[in-house]
Amino acid sequence: MLRSIFLDALKNLSGNALRSGLTMLGVIIGVAAVITMIAIVEGGQVWLVNSLERMGTNLLFVWKKRLTVEERQLFAGRNTELRYDDALAIQTRFPDLLVAPIIELDGQLKAGDRDYSGRITGTSPEYSQIRNFRPESGRFVSSLDIKEWNRSVVLGHTIAEVLFGSQPAIGEDVKIGDQRFTVKGIMEPKGEIYGHDYDEMVIIPISTGLRFFQGSDKIRSMIIHVPDRQRMDEISQALHQFLVQRHEGVDDIHIRNQGEFLSAVDQTLLTFRLVLGGIAVIALLVGGIGIMNIMLVTVTERTREIGLRKAIGARRQDILLQFLIESTTISVIGGSIGILVGILAAYGIGDVVARAMPGGGDWGAVVQPTAIAIAFAFAVVVGVGFGLFPAMKASKLEPAEALRYQ
Amino acid sequence: MLIELNHIFKIYQAGHVEVPALIDITLQVNKGEFVAIIGQSGSGKTTLLDIIGCLSRPTSGEYWLDGDLVNTLPDSRLTGIRNKKIGFIFQTFHLLARKTALENVQLPLMYAGASRTVQHDTARTLLTKVGLQDRLRHYSNQLSGGQQQRVAIARALANSPALLLADEPTGNLDSQSGKDILALFEQLHRHGQTIVMITHDPLIAQQAERRITLADGRVVADEYMHHPLPVPG
Repeated sequence: MLRSIFLDALKNLSGNALRSGLTMLGVIIGVAAVITMIAIVEGGQVWLVNSLERMGTNLLFVWKKRLTVEERQLFAGRNTELRYDDALAIQTRFPDLLVAPIIELDGQLKAGDRDYSGRITGTSPEYSQIRNFRPESGRFVSSLDIKEWNRSVVLGHTIAEVLFGSQPAIGEDVKIGDQRFTVKGIMEPKGEIYGHDYDEMVIIPISTGLRFFQGSDKIRSMIIHVPDRQRMDEISQALHQFLVQRHEGVDDIHIRNQGEFLSAVDQTLLTFRLVLGGIAVIALLVGGIGIMNIMLVTVTERTREIGLRKAIGARRQDILLQFLIESTTISVIGGSIGILVGILAAYGIGDVVARAMPGGGDWGAVVQPTAIAIAFAFAVVVGVGFGLFPAMKASKLEPAEALRYQ
Repeated sequence: MLIELNHIFKIYQAGHVEVPALIDITLQVNKGEFVAIIGQSGSGKTTLLDIIGCLSRPTSGEYWLDGDLVNTLPDSRLTGIRNKKIGFIFQTFHLLARKTALENVQLPLMYAGASRTVQHDTARTLLTKVGLQDRLRHYSNQLSGGQQQRVAIARALANSPALLLADEPTGNLDSQSGKDILALFEQLHRHGQTIVMITHDPLIAQQAERRITLADGRVVADEYMHHPLPVPG
């Protein structure tokens, strides 16, 4: 008898292909939407974390704070700039830190008949290690370069191509302004991270930059690597104190901890996740309402069917079993198709995003098994719930009433 | 005695107003009888059919069917009685669309717990009996009204019920199909089948040997038309 009811229920589904298909569509939409959304958010998260790691880890960023007019008047005559000396003093005072002071200059580079105008970065050898950014050939700025104000230049991957094409560049001369520099290294391709294109960098020794171009010892910022992640906050505070002291008591610096940055990113992602999760829940509800609509539209027909089945001898549990089998089959098949569609859509959208987003080449959706499980379970519950509910109501009616249901 | 109704009342509640549909109905039907219940619309004949068919319960009174006091039985027992003792034929056929003639006839057998082979063989035999041996795999919407009603009769006979209960069985049919259906009833009756048929049409009621007339929820006449000798069963 169970077997008969089972076969009968399956026949009902295939006999009413349109109704079954539309109901399934609701389930498919709901499941696919949830899986796709979660996969995209997860993909975003993985990408962000990766790009942060490519930027280097355990970093402190030191900037000069902009002073107000009043503060500037108040502190006139005191030493209120971030200077190259500050970086050297930090390195001496905290020998286990890696310190990279940074200056930025605008300039023109000429190599033969090719030229390039853009930003030139002056920094120390530590920069390469801190940023996890290595030369592909030749070498990075060296300590000797710093000591001797050498006119050495290291080129980003793109710049090397712009100036030298496929010709070897190492050892060649490049003119920056009216100074003759020698190319010592070409950096590995790294791409763009947070709007900064590492492949377009032109790097010279900071001492050379200060001496030949800037004419002062002000620096733009410092990046400091802390070996022990646990001590980030402690060292950040110690550095702050140390610098305020050097600046004769004027608190004119910002120190930003990469960890704070990460937690800000986490916050953003959480918001993102909640918003997309909300949309996904709405999609599930819309799917559920779709299922419910089909059930309600067919409720008259189905109530009469239930009345007839009861008149010819179906018990209430036979009716409920039939509807349970019908709605479970629809939900499970719909849910499975939804999983497939969701995964395909996630990778499809991931691909589009990767192409559209600058520096998003390695962006990809991450399909989570938990997301699949949650979406599937929810869809089955909604599908079976909405499928069973009208049947439960109709099977409670007296057969006479159900048979003549209008 | 197959059917015995004693002081049956059925009162519907329409808001705060009580609408009596059946008032103090007392009647008996013997095994093998062919009874027509006749009355204007609103006379209560459909309500009476629902009660006789265990599709609905009386508000008060006793109803004995084949030895069971059915108005006191739980729903689950009533389901079994409808399945095994009563065969229904409706004006609108009530076949399940998108099922073949064979599948429709199999349904009562399925709910009776018959094996699939028995379901199939019995349904085929019954459809042959009503003249539809060439239409076994046709869907209801591929059959004429008369053919659909034959499928319904085959379905009603599936579990060899003690009582065949027909509600305006010719109401949706052209006159020739109607005649064919009535001829089928006559044939079943000659083989001892108890039939209770509801109709508003006196001409059709003439086919039965006994005519019970309802008006305003009461029995106003109960007469044997011709040959009142019931076939023993």
